Amino acid sequence: MAEEALVAEDVRKRYVSRGAPPTDALRGVSLRIDKGERVGLLGRNGAGKTTFLRIVSTLLIPSSGSVRVFGRDAIADPDAVRSMLAVVPQEGKPFFHLTPREQVYSYLRARGFTRETARFRSEEALGQMGLMEIADRLSITLSGGQRQRTMVATVIATEAPLMFLDEPTIGMDPFARREVWASLRRLTAKGCTILLTTHYLDEAENLAQRLSVIERGKVLVEGTGESLKRRAGGTIRVSITGGEKLGPELESFGLLIPDGSALHVVTSPERVQEILGLAVRAGLPASVGPVTLEEAFLRVVGRSIDEEG
Amino acid sequence: MALRMGQGTIAFALTELRVQLHEGLAIATSMIVQVVLLVFVVILAPSLLPYALLGAVVYSVFQLGQRIQNEAAFIRIDHKLNELYHASSLSAEGYFLGLSLGVLLAYLPPVVILLLLIELLAPLTAVSALVLTAVVALVWLFTCALGYIISTLFRDMRAIWPYASLLTNFFGVLPPVFYPIGLLPGYWHPIALAIPSSAAVVLVEAAQGGLVHLSNLEIAYAATSLTVEALALFGFAVYWARVTARER
Repeated sequence: MAEEALVAEDVRKRYVSRGAPPTDALRGVSLRIDKGERVGLLGRNGAGKTTFLRIVSTLLIPSSGSVRVFGRDAIADPDAVRSMLAVVPQEGKPFFHLTPREQVYSYLRARGFTRETARFRSEEALGQMGLMEIADRLSITLSGGQRQRTMVATVIATEAPLMFLDEPTIGMDPFARREVWASLRRLTAKGCTILLTTHYLDEAENLAQRLSVIERGKVLVEGTGESLKRRAGGTIRVSITGGEKLGPELESFGLLIPDGSALHVVTSPERVQEILGLAVRAGLPASVGPVTLEEAFLRVVGRSIDEEG
Repeated sequence: MALRMGQGTIAFALTELRVQLHEGLAIATSMIVQVVLLVFVVILAPSLLPYALLGAVVYSVFQLGQRIQNEAAFIRIDHKLNELYHASSLSAEGYFLGLSLGVLLAYLPPVVILLLLIELLAPLTAVSALVLTAVVALVWLFTCALGYIISTLFRDMRAIWPYASLLTNFFGVLPPVFYPIGLLPGYWHPIALAIPSSAAVVLVEAAQGGLVHLSNLEIAYAATSLTVEALALFGFAVYWARVTARER
């Protein structure tokens, strides 16, 4: 049996503030992550992702529930687990008056690394994040994406056994995002465990071996990207330009997603021919492709919203 | 990877020192109030210069609390860097101490300049120099604790700024820090001697001899007040740093 890096059970968080009704940010979230896994936490804004991440990273006390990090109780004894953690906070920024090189190195030193290890690890992380050219520029002069890369470099340089990354690639260009993905893959190959949140569904699909979708403080679906797509009602998407005209006829084939002038039909492979036949008879251009995780996410979360009203 | 607490604290202090040293203008302008008041004293009442110089040293140290307050709040509210450090092997106490030490080191040069001025214009005896060292250390404990605690109470930087100037003026300008306690009516003395900044100045003045005339009971009262308040608030700040490392 694989070693469990994180076991969170029935974690609940109720925010109580004067003059406002209490808010249940988490309503019983459970999650298990094995050592060396990369798990993605998905959800709409305000679904509870960051609250959960802050609880499991010992930064927020839950109202109830349990969190164990490598078998140790992270709620009762946070000090016992903190040395095993590293966190990229949401919207975090490096010190404006440090360079990326100084930022990463000094953080490693504060974590207790020797000068030699801190120097080696910081150079390695800066290289992986493509920051070498700007490593000696003050962070205040860097772009938002470069600052975010500095934050990620700071954390991956620790090679902490369990890392939490809250929207780690926000503001990054597609090249930089792929550098982050490659670095995170390298880390899990070394045995590190990663839990990340993201709103980029392609990122989740490419990077996470397992996904957990949170909606209104509860886990809605858990599994691989493929299993999430299957739950959406089909694995194939037929896109018909001007397909709105066929709307009523297409309803029985699966999920319909309007997208500008096109209409996407999420369906099963065996029904594709019938849909294409309808499009051809109507003289409408159509194309076929796999369902994206984003479409599956919209379907699964949207269905939950409809059900809960 | 086991952290030796001292190393982490010192490393974070050096990080903070490096950050602060980029604010050269802020360090230089931290002397403005002291310099202006010294100029006023030289022009209006040169005989009060020894008092004002000692007051300027204590005021400079007391002002560090304001720097710590703003820096801790900025790191937490704007940068979220406290989360980076709290979810790590650096202890919450180490974070608080490192921040305080870093700011202290950055703002030491103005204090050294003032000490040199004292040496030139109104030299201290060995005993009063020792007393000055002790009281300055206690004032630093008090002010960095106060600054850090206040920084944790707000979610908006703009809400914090008024408290910085309020506290600095309340503790640094209003009580007899820059002027002799003898200028205050007697019934204000117990209050002035209970305020850490004015108690600190009065104790050095008493040790210097001739600058202030207080009874032994008043000196003991000032020393006890300063020591108890500084140690108690610092102890509470260490506890508070640990508590606030995790939100509720």
